[in-house]
Amino acid sequence: MSYIIYIIIQILTIVLTAPLVNGIIKKAKALSQKRTGPPVFQMYYDLYKLIRKGTVVSDVSSWIYKAAPYVVFSTALAAALLVPVSTLVTPANSIPGDFILMVSVFALGRFFMMAAGLDTGSTFGGMGSSREAMISSLAEPSILVCLFTAGLISGSTSLDRMMTFMQGTGTPLTHPATVLLFLALLSIIMMETARIPVDDPATHLELTMVHEAMLLEYSGRHLALMEYGAAIKQLVFMTLLVNLLVPHDQIIGFAGAGAVVLSLLIYLLKVILLAVLIALVEINTVKFRLFSIPNLAALSFILSFLAFLQYFLMGGGHVWFV
Amino acid sequence: MSGLFDTLSVIILLTSFVLVANKRIKSYIKTFRIQSAFIALAAGIMGIQSITSEGRIDVLVVCFVIVVLKVIYIPKLLNRTYSGVEYKVEKDFILNIPILVLICCGLVVFTHFCIASIDGISQGYNDLQIINSVSVVMIGLFFMISRKKAIGQIIGFLVLENGIFITAMFATDGMPFIVDMGIFIDMLTAVMIMGIMVYQISDKFDTINIDKLNKLKG
Amino acid sequence: MGFLLLVIPLISVLLFFLVKKRLFLHVISLTASGLMMMIALPLTGDVIAKGTVEYAHYGGFFYLDSLSIIVLDIVLLIGFFAAIYSVQYLEVDVRRGKLDFGKVRLYYILMQLFLFTMILALTVKNMGIMWIAIEATTLASVFLVGFHNDRYALEAAWKYVIICSVGIAVAMLGIIFLHLSSIGVLESRELLQWTALMENAGRLNDSTARLAFIFILVGFGTKAGLAPMHTWLPDAHSQAPAPISALLSGVLLNSAMYGIIRMAAVVNKSLGSSIYTGRLLMAMGMLSIVIAAVFILTQKDYKRLLAYSSIEHMGIIAVAIGFFTPLSLFGGLLHMINHSLTKSMLFLCSGSLLQKFETKQIPRIKGVLKMLPFSGTAFLFGLFAIAGMPPFSVFASELGILMSVFNEGSYIIGAVLAILFVIVFAGIATAMFRIFYGSNENKDLEPGEENIPGTLIIMTLLVIIGITGLWMPDPIIELIHQAQSIISGV
Repeated sequence: MSYIIYIIIQILTIVLTAPLVNGIIKKAKALSQKRTGPPVFQMYYDLYKLIRKGTVVSDVSSWIYKAAPYVVFSTALAAALLVPVSTLVTPANSIPGDFILMVSVFALGRFFMMAAGLDTGSTFGGMGSSREAMISSLAEPSILVCLFTAGLISGSTSLDRMMTFMQGTGTPLTHPATVLLFLALLSIIMMETARIPVDDPATHLELTMVHEAMLLEYSGRHLALMEYGAAIKQLVFMTLLVNLLVPHDQIIGFAGAGAVVLSLLIYLLKVILLAVLIALVEINTVKFRLFSIPNLAALSFILSFLAFLQYFLMGGGHVWFV
Repeated sequence: MSGLFDTLSVIILLTSFVLVANKRIKSYIKTFRIQSAFIALAAGIMGIQSITSEGRIDVLVVCFVIVVLKVIYIPKLLNRTYSGVEYKVEKDFILNIPILVLICCGLVVFTHFCIASIDGISQGYNDLQIINSVSVVMIGLFFMISRKKAIGQIIGFLVLENGIFITAMFATDGMPFIVDMGIFIDMLTAVMIMGIMVYQISDKFDTINIDKLNKLKG
Repeated sequence: MGFLLLVIPLISVLLFFLVKKRLFLHVISLTASGLMMMIALPLTGDVIAKGTVEYAHYGGFFYLDSLSIIVLDIVLLIGFFAAIYSVQYLEVDVRRGKLDFGKVRLYYILMQLFLFTMILALTVKNMGIMWIAIEATTLASVFLVGFHNDRYALEAAWKYVIICSVGIAVAMLGIIFLHLSSIGVLESRELLQWTALMENAGRLNDSTARLAFIFILVGFGTKAGLAPMHTWLPDAHSQAPAPISALLSGVLLNSAMYGIIRMAAVVNKSLGSSIYTGRLLMAMGMLSIVIAAVFILTQKDYKRLLAYSSIEHMGIIAVAIGFFTPLSLFGGLLHMINHSLTKSMLFLCSGSLLQKFETKQIPRIKGVLKMLPFSGTAFLFGLFAIAGMPPFSVFASELGILMSVFNEGSYIIGAVLAILFVIVFAGIATAMFRIFYGSNENKDLEPGEENIPGTLIIMTLLVIIGITGLWMPDPIIELIHQAQSIISGV
């Protein structure tokens, strides 16, 4: 497949699916509480409404405030290009860029978001930024070790090579290292995408909000872009988990356009299932105290590190899968 | 099949990490229950394997005993002992929890280096299972040291015994039956005795903080 | 007939539940212990004549050889003496209102169970069952240690149960590794059996056997009171009632040491040389002696002092076993016997002291010789004995061990040992001797023995350790020689 087709399919899929995930999670949570909840496509309507509204910009803020939404959205899209939704559509030579690039690109977006939170001079924004700084500095080592282990296992740091390798191995989830990686990635998703137990996405209380605090001053299309960027980031992490650890593409025996469509559909199914799983986790836990978050981060780091250890205990790849 | 045991051994190791990261006493008991359930699962699979290949029924009996004892009876006993005591959450630790979890990680690495230097143990696969099981033993021991409440020491002891049991299972395909039964009876009695003692300590000392038990010195 | 040894304690436990009067409790306990002692004599004769006693029933688990019979005889003898002493000891406490019928019954039940588990540990050849029995000894004696139920006793009992249970669990890991080392070498019906292990020792996996030894040394060493796992011992042995302390110090430590000796025999035969186990045993033994010497110098509680002395002597036995020459093994086994007899006598005396003066603190006691003419004198002589003074038996065995060390040319170790012996003697002397003289200021206490049968037992023990310091009957020497050759694996 050539680059252009890959880029088009990738962007279309991710951009179109991202708001759907939020809707599914909200719906699942509502159903569990015996409410009807908002419709699944609600976020699309919200984004559409926000884009058409005007924006209010504070006088005391600088160019960072205006640039941040665009940076966040574009970095999210750029990172999305590095994580293929289906290995059947990746170009013949692999994608330039690997997971380290992905993590750094997200870091760029996060930096601008934190700076924007400080920019308006409101206390909520500053508070959100400092909390976000703490949480993300604890989550970064975990992501890096986790993906590094996956890279060691598959012998490459490029994400699509990793996915392809994982698919060649049959049933990765019964292997000790990948079980740990699954759990580690799940807790990373919780931390990076601001979900319970790390941060409540539905609150605007000073005591509990982190991500929302940084977005508090935004309105109109700026807000739309920020929200969309966050949703895309969430989908990218979910794609990472789903395609690395529960791969499906090579099961499809045939090739061609039909195979691509089938692969994309299965991918959608996996994402929906993972969204339901995330909703289940959210339903069954409560938000942690801020100072208990390092415990969760430590546990997540340990999970990744243990996966790394287990990989070595298995003989460093010689006796990998039976 | 051996891959399944690898995964199970890793999950059991994971539960012991979750145990160290916990602060509430009810969670200690619940995590212990989950760990015993996974051990019973591993024993059950091994039992089915041994029945179909050798016709030995003893491993399945052992699995059943584990379920009855460690998953059902002992947690119930501990919960009942604990409902009479007032402390529900541990508040002070020697070091904070993330550091404790990291130390446990260090213990796993340490175990790896110890066991890897023994040749003859590893026939390739068993290495991983034995290292994980011995790590559970070490983590149980570490848990006993790092908690100040008496219940921490009881649970640490139980996790220690769990670890020893799975080491026996993974390394040798089950110890002789009578030895297994003896181990269970011993452990059950030990837990009952410790439970009674916690009661008496709480009665006499008005606290179950172990570092208040410091009158005998020298 | 050997099975009777196992059955009698269980039957007596059942009987204890049935009787209602204290007198019957004492009678049952005395009869049981007496019967067990009488059974020991023909069994010993059998072992001396035939070398081993084995029964094929129940899978052939019952097994006695010279090593087991030595330790077993000590168990039964001291059990009998402790039972006689307990009668009056408990009666005095009942009279003072500290105990009631239920507690006395609990005491006897636990004591018989305790004896049962120790006998079981010594009469099986399956190391796994031996482990189970040794773990059971801890469990049976926890509430005996905490018998007085005050804060100190409770603390001692908690430390005892936690530390010893962890130690025993570590020993289990050792047994698992032992099992691992024998996979493929032993048939499935002889797994973990000591006799089979000794026969096939050359074919066991070396590195796993080494690992197994370390774990078992640490595990059983916790029960035997070797440093640095000894921290429960001073508390437990000082807070328990006196006859139980005598059993704990004189008998239980031996049984744990017995486990270590069996394991060392197997590993030494498997590795072909005793250097590995020897180094470990000697290091721990020396550490125990040093720690005991240091703590004895500053003790204020006489029972704790006796407990530390037990640690020291266990260290001496460990050094003797670690050295592994025929002479040192002989000395070590002899020392086990002598230490048990002397230490039990000392603890029984301390029980009389405690009941008379009602305090455990040395500075508060004066005029023991006037107050307790017989037990006091025995206590004085006993302290001389345990510190290693001739003509008592402990001196003979310590001298034997020292000579065996010097014979091999290890002058440094021998010199260090000798210096440590002197330090311990000085420590015991300075700590204890002032309690004997002067007169007691408390006018309410009348001189005289309270526990007549107990005092008789104490005097008997004193006479025994005096005589055996100079002369041992030949059958016993023959028995120890046989045991030593079993351990050396020839």
